[in-house]
Amino acid sequence: MNKVFNRRTLVVAIEVPILLLNSDRRDRKREMGLGIFTSMLLRRTIIQRSTKLLSPQSPIFNNSFVRPIVSTPELKNPEAAQADPVPDSPPLPPRSPVGGARVHFPNPEDAIEVFVDGYPVKIPKGFTVLQACEVAGVDIPRFCYHSRLSIAGNCRMCLVEVEKSPKPVASCAMPALPGMKIKTDTPMAKKAREGVMEFLLMNHPLDCPICDQGGECDLQDQSMAFGSDRGRFTEMKRSVVDKNLGPLVKTVMTRCIQCTRCVRFATEVAGVQDLGMLGRGSGEEIGTYVEKLMTSELSGNVIDICPVGALTSKPFAFKARNWELKGTESIDVMDAVGSNIRIDSRGPEVMRILPRLNEDINEEWISDKTRFCYDGLKRQRLNDPMIRGNDGRFKAVSWRDALAVVAEVMNQINPEEIVGIAGQLSDAESMMALKDLLNRMGSNNVWCEGNGMQTQADLRSGYLMNSSISGLEKADVFLLVGCQPRVEAAMVNARIRKAVRSNLAKVGYIGPPTDFNYEHQHLGTGPQTLLQIAEGRHPFCSAITNAKKPAIIVSAGLFEREDKDAIFSTVEAIAKNGNVIRPDWNGLNVLLLNAAQAAALDLGLIPESNKAIESAKFLYLMGADDVNLDKLQGDAFVVYQGHHGDNSVYRANVILPAAAFSEKEGTYENTEGFTQQTLPAVPTVGDARDDWKILRALSEVAGVKLPYDSLMDIRSRIRIVAPNLLSIDEREPATFSALIKPEFPHSMSSTPFKAAIENFYMTNSITRASKIMAQCSAQLAKK
Amino acid sequence: MAFTLRGLKVSPNSASLEEARSRVFDFFKTACRSIPSIMEIYNLHDVVTVSQLRSTIASEIRKNAHIDNPKVIDLLLFKGMEELGNITEHAKQRHHILGQYVLGKQGLVQDSSTKDEGISPFLKSFYETNYF
Ligand code: SF4
Ligand code: FES
Repeated sequence: MNKVFNRRTLVVAIEVPILLLNSDRRDRKREMGLGIFTSMLLRRTIIQRSTKLLSPQSPIFNNSFVRPIVSTPELKNPEAAQADPVPDSPPLPPRSPVGGARVHFPNPEDAIEVFVDGYPVKIPKGFTVLQACEVAGVDIPRFCYHSRLSIAGNCRMCLVEVEKSPKPVASCAMPALPGMKIKTDTPMAKKAREGVMEFLLMNHPLDCPICDQGGECDLQDQSMAFGSDRGRFTEMKRSVVDKNLGPLVKTVMTRCIQCTRCVRFATEVAGVQDLGMLGRGSGEEIGTYVEKLMTSELSGNVIDICPVGALTSKPFAFKARNWELKGTESIDVMDAVGSNIRIDSRGPEVMRILPRLNEDINEEWISDKTRFCYDGLKRQRLNDPMIRGNDGRFKAVSWRDALAVVAEVMNQINPEEIVGIAGQLSDAESMMALKDLLNRMGSNNVWCEGNGMQTQADLRSGYLMNSSISGLEKADVFLLVGCQPRVEAAMVNARIRKAVRSNLAKVGYIGPPTDFNYEHQHLGTGPQTLLQIAEGRHPFCSAITNAKKPAIIVSAGLFEREDKDAIFSTVEAIAKNGNVIRPDWNGLNVLLLNAAQAAALDLGLIPESNKAIESAKFLYLMGADDVNLDKLQGDAFVVYQGHHGDNSVYRANVILPAAAFSEKEGTYENTEGFTQQTLPAVPTVGDARDDWKILRALSEVAGVKLPYDSLMDIRSRIRIVAPNLLSIDEREPATFSALIKPEFPHSMSSTPFKAAIENFYMTNSITRASKIMAQCSAQLAKK
Repeated sequence: MAFTLRGLKVSPNSASLEEARSRVFDFFKTACRSIPSIMEIYNLHDVVTVSQLRSTIASEIRKNAHIDNPKVIDLLLFKGMEELGNITEHAKQRHHILGQYVLGKQGLVQDSSTKDEGISPFLKSFYETNYF
């Protein structure tokens, strides 16, 4: 070994002067400074010599002391490598598509066949080379390509070799042609990736230890997998000034690799033209052109799509490392969409919330409210049962005492004067228990927030989004009645925007002036316009009648109006005239506002009389914070069962602490009738209990014991009332829809429609307790 | 570990049930005699009384009242002596004593009373914890 080493050093010593005379090398010397140059030269020489002197087969080569610059030295000579197309390596077995994807052939004749690493795959026409490789089960490294965004083709990481093409091709931007022979594993492809990696790392800071993306960074992973173990660029790295994008997204722009995913996301999906690319060449920067915050309700998603740590979450910054976190797959309850989320927790603390892929609901995005509401789960929590004493102050008591007091009061009150209201975050199980408890007490005054008086809950088609959220993508005309999808359900708005972009769908809107992030016509502000359309006196009528798939979306905010029956029957008249309900398409939709609403309507939690609150002597609020308690009599006894000290606590006589959505297992139905379950990610706070358990315990203390001891038991009870709530992860469409409202009503008041949601960032007790949401509404909310 | 109760060597097996029984009484007496110093070491004066601790010891022993194999009794006795040794040696900390012998198995719930009779197992566990 020693001998070998000596010989090599000797060789180097001899070679250096000779090479220094070489003229083209000297040009580079001028640019690089002598020290760098000589050290490079020395290393070069060593490799050249060692490869020459010691054949790769020789055992000494394998133990060589000096490691070459390129980790795969045989790639140094592409011609040689190409001439020898690895015939000896045993062929890889054919693989199944990446991520178990299925290929949908819109038109079977259009299938073409390409060869990926020697295996034939059938793909539809118009696929790119990268997609073809994915179908063949080969995952191509990439940075700028994202399947939901347009193709930029500027990172060059996805280079593959295509037979007969002189250069490697960027697979994400190259359409696959019939018979193409794609090679993803050849020395040429590998060398190309290695080269791209080297360029990308040229200006990327080496701050992984303090970077929040560390551990889930595409650049980190891919440089491990495809990069070289060293680079040749020893100059200073460039640095870029950080941008202020608001309270949610933290920027470290020096880390940006200019993949432009964030720019494309902002323009294409979020529909705000805030982000852009400035400068060119090595001066390229991502930024808002003028100092401006990113004002989109989807802005948090740029954190996920940024492949490096340039855009990270501001509230999460330096809070935890992603490998310490436990992920729990759960459901969001901030709106009625039921986005699929993953709750990342460390110990008893929710650290962050990320989206989970669900093509039918949220694709892979979530709204900012969903993503950043979690700090509300740590503030203002109720952790002990409490009773308000005579001095008006709450005193913490034991569960035994609290339940005894509530049961005693409840038993003294006339059944008709007992009222129960479920909050907008309630799960189906606890609503079932609440309804059963009150029914056993002899009262049927039980409803869920947001379901106005005498809402029609007999036909599911009357309160669901019948075209389904993903179905909205196919619609070509939208009529939004009092509905501001951007704040009511940001994910539904993203779908409408998608339809506007891809089908050039027309959007007509009736309601107060509001913001849209796509082209729309503001038809009017109130029921008058609706009537005009129904009677065919409005120009928008023809748009509806001529549409292939018209969609009408009515906001559940109208449930609270006195004249809602009239409005709904007018809408149905429009649907009838415009032929909106067809055998293959039901375009009459209701967009609900709250996570609990659909399940509540399924379970029949609807108020019986308008006067229920005024005449109540005993009010049981299960997380209901948005009910108006002004009309409540002064001597009414109010029990608040919930997780946050919010609006209703001020009026409560007894507080029973309950679990928040991140702490319990519960069933939720979203606005399109899709049933899903949350799972507990963290333990409950303090002495809190699950909602249904509190109701079950109270029922026993009050002497009207409910017959269930476990979630399973409650679910079998639900099976009798609303069996669709048990088919988890399935959308149960309304079985049949009929237009049942009286023909032509004239009782509509002329009051214009009101906005259903005042402030997107603060809609429920969790978000109202959240500091991040407070910052957002201060800085971002549209005034 | 330096035991003050040096006598706690593994003693020869008890020949009969009678012998084992008398050893248990001896152990009980030793334990009771060390109660005052235990109260001193762990500063238990304001949480518990001597007689309470004594009855705790007695009930710990009574838990095994049904055992009639002298070998098993010898073993349990040895474990008991070891525990006592650990306690008098200050090998434990105050919360160990509080958790194991002062609060006992009831946990922190102090208000279990006669009104609990006749309630369902569900309600009983509900009062204790959310997780059952
Ligand atoms: S900030 Fe991130 S997503 Fe945007 S261009 Fe840079 S690397 Fe790409
Ligand atoms: S992924 Fe193809 S060029 Fe970036």
